[in-house]
Amino acid sequence: MFETEIHDLSDDADYAAASQQGPSSKAGHGISNQSYSSEPENAEIVYLKDNVTIHPTQYATERISGRLKLVKQDSLLFMSWIPYKGQSSNARLSERDKNLYTIRAVPFADIRSIRRHTPTIGWQYVIVVLSSGLAYPPLYFYNGGVREFITTVKQHIVIVRSSEDANVFLVNNFQDPLQRTLSSLELPRTISIAKSASSSSFTNSPSDGNLERLDGGPRQKGSDAARDISIQVLEKFSLVTRFARETTSQLFRESLVDDYRANENKKSNRSSQDKPREIVSNDVRVTRSEVPVPSDPLEFDKLSLVWGKPRQPPLGPEEWATFLDSEGRIEDFTALKKRIFYGGVEHNLRKEIWAFLLGYYAHDSTYAERQHVMAVMKSEYETIKNQWQSISPEQAKRFTKFRERKGLIERDVVRTDRSLPFYEGDENPNVHLLRNILLTYSFYNFDLGYCQGMSDLLSPILFIMEDEPESFWCFVSLMERLGPNFNRDQNGMHSQLFALSKLVELLDSPLHNYFKQKDCLNYFFCFRWILIQFKREFEYDKTLRLWEVLWTHHPSEHLHLYVCIAILKRQRAKIMQEQMSFDTLLKFINELSGCIDLDAVLRDAEALCVCAGENGAASIPPGTPPSLPVEDECIYQQDDEAL
Amino acid sequence: MSYAYLFKYIIIGDTGVGKSCLLLQFTDKRFQPVHDLTIGVEFGARMITIDNKPIKLQIWDTAGQESFRSITRSYYRGAAGALLVYDITRRETFNHLASWLEDARQHANANMTIMLIGNKCDLAHRRAVSTEEGEQFAKEHGLIFMEASAKTAQNVEEAFINTAGTIYKKIQDGVFDVSNESYGIKVGYGGIPGPSGGRDGSSSQAGGCCS
Ligand SMILES: Nc1nc2c(ncn2[C@@H]2O[C@H](COP(=O)(O)OP(=O)(O)OP(=O)(O)O)[C@@H](O)[C@H]2O)c(=O)[nH]1
Ligand SMILES: [Mg+2]
Repeated sequence: MFETEIHDLSDDADYAAASQQGPSSKAGHGISNQSYSSEPENAEIVYLKDNVTIHPTQYATERISGRLKLVKQDSLLFMSWIPYKGQSSNARLSERDKNLYTIRAVPFADIRSIRRHTPTIGWQYVIVVLSSGLAYPPLYFYNGGVREFITTVKQHIVIVRSSEDANVFLVNNFQDPLQRTLSSLELPRTISIAKSASSSSFTNSPSDGNLERLDGGPRQKGSDAARDISIQVLEKFSLVTRFARETTSQLFRESLVDDYRANENKKSNRSSQDKPREIVSNDVRVTRSEVPVPSDPLEFDKLSLVWGKPRQPPLGPEEWATFLDSEGRIEDFTALKKRIFYGGVEHNLRKEIWAFLLGYYAHDSTYAERQHVMAVMKSEYETIKNQWQSISPEQAKRFTKFRERKGLIERDVVRTDRSLPFYEGDENPNVHLLRNILLTYSFYNFDLGYCQGMSDLLSPILFIMEDEPESFWCFVSLMERLGPNFNRDQNGMHSQLFALSKLVELLDSPLHNYFKQKDCLNYFFCFRWILIQFKREFEYDKTLRLWEVLWTHHPSEHLHLYVCIAILKRQRAKIMQEQMSFDTLLKFINELSGCIDLDAVLRDAEALCVCAGENGAASIPPGTPPSLPVEDECIYQQDDEAL
Repeated sequence: MSYAYLFKYIIIGDTGVGKSCLLLQFTDKRFQPVHDLTIGVEFGARMITIDNKPIKLQIWDTAGQESFRSITRSYYRGAAGALLVYDITRRETFNHLASWLEDARQHANANMTIMLIGNKCDLAHRRAVSTEEGEQFAKEHGLIFMEASAKTAQNVEEAFINTAGTIYKKIQDGVFDVSNESYGIKVGYGGIPGPSGGRDGSSSQAGGCCS
């Protein structure tokens, strides 16, 4: 089942029809001479199609149309797709977006496969998968022409049809037909898996044995299953083009291979926790356990074939400056957030940028406006603070609730991050600021008051802002979204845990069933993760990075839930093999603290979120934190006992 | 390390009474007043010896804040012993004992051994609950009682070990079916094999992370 037949395509109806037509450069319309002249010397356009369109989001109304070309130069074939200028279905799609999608002359040597979809109803499209494993967004042929496209390709280079799926054409440029077959099956990701597993008697299917012999090199080939899955997965992914856009843009920005290698190296240094999983997910035979682990429907490792962009270095001052206009407005806040999503922010910029991310400053405010806001908010803070500062000891005696609240806060601020230099030592003034801000908040939002966990959320904010009123207002903004986590009836937490269970059911039903069987569907073992946004799971600086990423709300407000799933998925084999029960699971999850690879988990989470798509979004009830509350009225139940 | 028995303990009581400090004093023999407040639950473990048998205590240190109760209740399941802690310098933590007991009775198994601890007895000058009151409450509710200090370590060993002694005696007396894990007891390799035989004794070590 592994060998790929080399079909004689001449018996294929598509092919036959097209070959009569010949190279179909005339197929498109509106060809202008300029477009020819823009091609390099001795390049020949062998195919041109107008109105080939991508759908950058799930919404068909948002689309970018362009021109698809096949160009031949020095016997090499290139594909390009250039969006039309200044014409966009939707204002939300900026020029920047268009640039992201543009496909500039990719050589077919870099293409692994083309999958065509020619439904009887609806638009035809193709998905082009690169040998790096990344996929371009589907190219919709609004005017038809998929058949001619494939045929033209076939006329200029060798493509073979996959024996498993007649709609998949494997592309490569090797002369030797056998090698050609091999290279078309080579998956970058599975090679690395094979490497990590080779020490533990990794064996391939019989046909893979051939491969190794022929290859002779140190690299091993993946198994057929991996390939099958990858094709399914690729498809799933490229359907959501929002995601593919990132990967596409990535191709042109940096050397993927290097990033990829760097990542692999990092992975091989990963904590021993992760290692068994890699082996397990690849080959059941090498697992040491008697308990069979249901396989992951998304086959996590293989999913990474189409991973989002590798994480980038944090946003630095020069790049930050390019986002601001001369008066200090952020011109493209969405683009900024996306940039931050992929790499975070350099530490020195955090004070400035967090205020925007948290919504304390409007992104379209000017420097001058912000100065004004700062002054107004500072005095407003002092007003609220004064409300409790002016309570005399005599008054406090008759104000039990105030005394209790104050007592609780004072007992807690001395138990918050005291091992950090910023908060350590007796009589540390920053600890006193924590207290003031929390107490003021409990007057600002008297209904919610103070609840444990809030000091954990405030601590990094004060650490970054280093200013009492500013920290207060940033904390207020954060609590707009996370406040329901601290409701006395825990409704915010329960809705998140509920959404989490729905998402796991969607994305990993065997794991869901396992939790069900073990009576763990309440997901209490994720309670701390969610309540304080993983603050206790990572070192402090990693938490800062994670938070700024989560606050971009890209690609979802609820990315934190996908982060939970990403972590669980990395441990799923261990959890199920060891037949963890509620108790052991809780302990196990607690002890993951400090052992989670943030970058890897974020990339997984992004992919899971995209994979879940609209079904994922539908699993999360409206108003689930950190979404803003559905109605604005009384958000926090009043409860006489609340502190 | 192998053990004859493994007992699951939980530590409960109001926030700030010193639960985490008691645990740390017992497992690490140190007083660390500035550690973080507890969210959810934390774990500790230590081996002790009773009747020449190695016994492993796996201790669940729960969060004391009222609003976390719906979560912390789920931790009672299968605990063999509980340390119910109040702070002798804060009257309200003593007043709340009844509600903690009610939770324990509802969510834990009926044979759970409960030790009442009046903590921070080093702060005698700020005492707000007398020793007699503590004794009285314990007597009324059938609990073992001790005053202790996580700071000076006074009675900390005793609190954990006496509780284990009581549980051990209950096993000897046949109160528990030790093969049934819902009692919070596991039989290890060095123990009296129950109907289900020996169990893994190497799985976890004190509070360790996966490093
Ligand atoms: N003097 C004195 N102080 C203590 C003692 N035990 C605890 N403390 C203090 O009480 C504070 C609270 O102790 P924790 O152990 O954190 O309280 P907890 O019961 O775990 O509280 P939660 O985790 O919020 O439920 C600590 O910061 C210590 O400073 C003690 O025996 N003597
Ligand atoms: Mg504690």
